[in-house]
Amino acid sequence: MTYDFLTVFLLVCATLLPVAPAVVLYLLERKTPFGKIKYWKRQLVAGLLFGGVAILATEFGIPVQGAVLNVRNAAPLTAGLLFGGPAGILAGAIGGVYRWIATFWGAGEFSRLACSIACILAGLFGAGCRKFMFDNKKAAWFYGLAIGCTTEVLHMLLLFLTNMDDIYTSYTIVAICAPPMIACCGISVMLSLFFVALVGKQNGEKRTHTRQISQIFQLLLLICVVTAFVATNLFTNVLQTRIADKNASSLLSLNLADVKKDVSEASDANLLKITKSVAAKVSLAATREELTALLTEYNVAGINLVDENGIIRESTRPDFVGFDMASGAQSAEFLCLLHGQQSYVQSYQPLSGDSSVSRKYAGIAFADGGFVQVGYNAEQFQSDVADEVRLAVKNRHIGQTGGIIVCDENLTIISDNAGHTGETAIDRNDVKDIEAQPGTKFTANVGGVNSYCIYDVSEGFFLIATIPVTEAMFSRDIAVTVFAFMEIIVFAALFVHVYFLLKKLVVDNIHKINRSLAQITGGDLNVQVNVRENEEFASLSDDINSTVDTLKHYIAEAESRIDRELEFARQIQRSSLPSVFPPYPDRKDFAIYASMDAAKEVGGDFYDFYMPDSAHLVFLVADVSGKGIPGALFMMRSKTLLKNLAETGIEIDKVFTEANDALSENNDAEMFVTAWMGRLDLESGVLEYVNAGHNPPLIRHAGGTFTYLRTRPNFILAGMEGTRYKKHELQLSAGDEIFLYTDGVTEAANKENRLYGEERLEKVLSDSASDPKLLCAAVRADVDEFVQDADQSDDITMLCVKFNADAQTAELAFLPDQNSMEAVTDFLTEKLEEWEVPPKVANRAQVAADEICSNIVYYSGAKNVQIALLYSKEKLTLTFTDDGTPYDPTAARDPDVTLSAEEREIGGLGIFMVKKMASSVAYRNQNEKNILSVTLDIAK
Amino acid sequence: MKIEKQAAESTLTLAIIGRLDTTTAPELEAELNACLAPVQDLIFDLQDLEYISSAGLRVILKAQKVMNKKGSMKLVHVNDSVMEVFDITGFADILTIE
Repeated sequence: MTYDFLTVFLLVCATLLPVAPAVVLYLLERKTPFGKIKYWKRQLVAGLLFGGVAILATEFGIPVQGAVLNVRNAAPLTAGLLFGGPAGILAGAIGGVYRWIATFWGAGEFSRLACSIACILAGLFGAGCRKFMFDNKKAAWFYGLAIGCTTEVLHMLLLFLTNMDDIYTSYTIVAICAPPMIACCGISVMLSLFFVALVGKQNGEKRTHTRQISQIFQLLLLICVVTAFVATNLFTNVLQTRIADKNASSLLSLNLADVKKDVSEASDANLLKITKSVAAKVSLAATREELTALLTEYNVAGINLVDENGIIRESTRPDFVGFDMASGAQSAEFLCLLHGQQSYVQSYQPLSGDSSVSRKYAGIAFADGGFVQVGYNAEQFQSDVADEVRLAVKNRHIGQTGGIIVCDENLTIISDNAGHTGETAIDRNDVKDIEAQPGTKFTANVGGVNSYCIYDVSEGFFLIATIPVTEAMFSRDIAVTVFAFMEIIVFAALFVHVYFLLKKLVVDNIHKINRSLAQITGGDLNVQVNVRENEEFASLSDDINSTVDTLKHYIAEAESRIDRELEFARQIQRSSLPSVFPPYPDRKDFAIYASMDAAKEVGGDFYDFYMPDSAHLVFLVADVSGKGIPGALFMMRSKTLLKNLAETGIEIDKVFTEANDALSENNDAEMFVTAWMGRLDLESGVLEYVNAGHNPPLIRHAGGTFTYLRTRPNFILAGMEGTRYKKHELQLSAGDEIFLYTDGVTEAANKENRLYGEERLEKVLSDSASDPKLLCAAVRADVDEFVQDADQSDDITMLCVKFNADAQTAELAFLPDQNSMEAVTDFLTEKLEEWEVPPKVANRAQVAADEICSNIVYYSGAKNVQIALLYSKEKLTLTFTDDGTPYDPTAARDPDVTLSAEEREIGGLGIFMVKKMASSVAYRNQNEKNILSVTLDIAK
Repeated sequence: MKIEKQAAESTLTLAIIGRLDTTTAPELEAELNACLAPVQDLIFDLQDLEYISSAGLRVILKAQKVMNKKGSMKLVHVNDSVMEVFDITGFADILTIE
C-alpha cells in the first residue's frame, strides 16, 4: 500500500498533535504557579485539554481508500500516563462520547462502537498503567510505544468484535487502517513521553549503571513474549496457508472435474448418436465410396469397419485397412465390442495407427460380428458441443469471483463466466508451469488478478479453474490477523500480569527490606525487618533480624568494655591532677583552686601546680590537641615532663624550652600542647609567666575588675623543636587574682552553636566573689546556663590563684534585717582580734563598718550585702558590696563641723568620719552593685 | 554595751562600757529618756567606751541639747579612739570634755 505526500503529511501532523500540548502542560506544571494549584483542578485541566485533542483527531480524520485514519487514542493515553489517572479517564470519556455522537455529522457508522469504546479504554489504560505499573511516575518512552501500539491493536480487534456479521468489511478496513494507525498511535505516545523526559530531566535523577531487577526481568519477559508471539504467529500463518491452499486446490479440482465430466458426457453422447446413425446405414461389407459419402454426410473425420477378428476391413483412410486393432493401446480399447458390448466411446486422444493425429472415436457393434468406428477431429466435435460447454462454465462460480475458463489450445478464451471470449486467458510466457501436469495448482495472472489456477484438458478444450489468491487466502488472512491482534493483547496482559507478580512478590519486598536495612545501617539497630508475604522473605527477614540482634549484643558488649576502660583511664587521669583543696592548708599567703571536666571520658586538658620551694608557687593550665586515649597519654607525658622540669627550680622559660624539645622528639602522632605557666614569688609578689599558644588569662587587682592579660604568646609546645620561649613579669599585690582556663570555657557552644565567648567570661568573673573556688564555680554555673542542654563539646578546665601576700582575708555575706548590725560587729570583732589588729585601727574599722552598713541596711533597700576584709602589714581594707539603690557616699557634701550643738545635724556625719579616718575610700557601681572599699593604714 | 548608772542628788554619772554604735545607741537613748528629768549635771564616763559611731554621737548631741537648757553635761576619761571621733566631727568644740 502506498500513500501520497499529503496523506503522509497529515498523518505526521495527527501523530504530533498530542505531543505539543503534553510538553507545554508539563512545563507549565513544573515551572509556573500552575503546578501549585490543587491536584483535582490540574487533573480537570489536563483531562479537558486532551479530551479536546481527541475531538480534533476525530474531526480531522484522514481518508485513505475508503477508510478514515486517525490517531485519537494517543491523547487519552498521553494524559493518563503523563498527568494522572483522572486526567486520562476524563480525556478518554470526552473523546469516546464525542466519537459516538460525531456519527450524526459524518463520522463512520461502521466503526462507531469500536472507536468509542477504544477511546474510553485508552484513557483507562493510561490511568491504570501510570498507577499500577509506574508507581505514579512518568513512564519511559519505550513503554509509551508499547502501550500506544497495544491500545490501537485493541481498537482494531474491537472493530472485528463489534462487526462479527460483516467480517469481510471489517477486515478490509482493518487491513487499510491497522499499520498506519498502530504505528502513529505508538509513536505519538512515545514522542510525548520522550520530549517530556527531555525537558524535565531532573538534576537529582539517578543514573545508575546497574539495572534494577524489574528492568532485567522486564527485558527478559519482553524477549520471551515477543519470541512466543513470533513463533505462534509463524506457525498459525503456515498452518492457515496450508489449509487455505488445500481448500483452494480441492475447490478448483472439484469444479474442474465437474465441468470436464459435463464436456465429455456431452461429446460422448453426440458422437454415439452419429455413430449409431452411421451404423444403421452401413454393414461390414460397405465399400470405401459408401463410407466416404457418409463421411461427408455426417461431417466426421473417419469411418472404419472392423471385422470379427479385430482387423480393419475397410476405412476412409486407405492406409488403415488391414490394421490390427489389438496392436495399439488406443485401438485395443474397442475390442470390447467383439465380446458382446454394443457401443463404446473413447476420449479425444492420439491414434494407435497414426500418433500424429488425435481423434475421438465411438464404435457400434454389428449384430453379425464386427463393428463400425466413427471418429471426430477436435474442430468437429468442439463445434458440435460448444453450446453445451459454454453453458457448463458460464454460470459456474468458484468462490465469489473465481470460475472456470474454457480455452482452445492457444489459450484463447472460448467461454468463461465474465464474457471475456476471444481474450487470452493466461500469458504462457508468464507461467511456465502451465506445462505442468493437468490437475496441479499454479499461480497466474488471470484477467489482471493474481489467481490460483488448475487446468485440465477435455475433448481438446483447455479447462482452467481459477480463484483469486486474495479470495483463497481471505480466511487465512482474517484468522492470522485476528489471531495476531488477540495475541498482542493477551501477551501484553500476560506481560503486565507477570511483571506485577514479580513486583509484588519480589521487588516490593526487596525495597521494604532495603528501607529497613538503610535505617539499620543508618544507626537505628532497633528496626525490625518484617516481610512475611512468602516463606522466602519471611526467613530472610528473620535472618536479618537475628543478625542485627547478635550485632547489637556485640556492640553493647564492646561499648561497655570500652566504657569500662575509658572510665579507668579517666580515673587515672583524674588522680594525676591535684584534687585536694586547699592543697596547702597552712599557707595563708595564697589561695588556689582548679577543676577539669572532661567532655569525653578522658580529656586532653590538664592543670597542675607545685611549690619548688616554700617561696614560689608554679601553676599552669594546658590543652593537648586530641581527645580520648591518645590525648590522655600525651597529656600524662607533658604533665610529668613539665612538673619534673619545673620542680628543679629552673626559670620557667627554660622549662618550656626544654619540655618543648623533649616533646617534639618522636612526636609521630603530631600532637601538640598549648600551655600557660606562671611562677609566683610569694614574698615579692612578682609573677613570671610564659605562654605557649594558650588563651590569655584574666587578672584582677584587689578592688578592681578582671581584665585579660594579653601578651604575645610563643609557639605551642611539641610543635617545633628549638622553639624559644620568653617569660614575662608582672607585679602582684595582696588580693590580686589570676584566672586561667582552656578554650573549653570560651568555646562552649549552645544549641544554636553560639560560643560562650571571652566577654561573657570577663563579665561573670568580675561580678563574682573574690575567692578562687567561688570564681571557678561561678564560671562553671554560667557556662552551664549558657549551653543549656547542649552536649559538652570540649574539656572545661579552670585554675584560679589569689595572691594574699602576707594578708589575711575574711568575708561575710548577709541578708539585711534588724539583727544584721550586731552580726557585722561580731564578725569584725572576731576577725580583728584573731588577726591581732592594733586596737586603734580595729576601732576605726568598727566605726567605718557601723556607719556604712547601717546606711546600707536602713536606707539602700539592698537584698544582699557582703563585707570583705583584707589585712596585711600595711593596711586593712574593708570592701562593702550591696545590691541596693545606687549611691556614692564619697560624692556627698561634707557637713559643717563648726556649728554649735543646737545647730548641728547628725546626717552625713558618719560618712564624713569614715572619710577622715581612712587612708582611702573608693566607690564604684558595677553590675548594678555598689562597691565601696575603705582602706585604713596600720601605721597612721 | 553596758551602762553603769551612779546617781547622787541631781548629778547622774553614766559609765558606758563597750561600743556605742547603731545597735547600742538606742539603748542609751532610752536610758536617758527614762532618767534624765531630775538630772541637772550629767556626766558620761567614757573610760571603757571602745568606740563611738555617728549613731552614738547623735544620742550624745541630743543629751547635750537637753542639758544645755537645764544644767550641764560633761564627758570624762575620753580615750584616744573616741577623742579622734570627737575631733574629726567637731564635737570636741561643742562638748565639755575633761
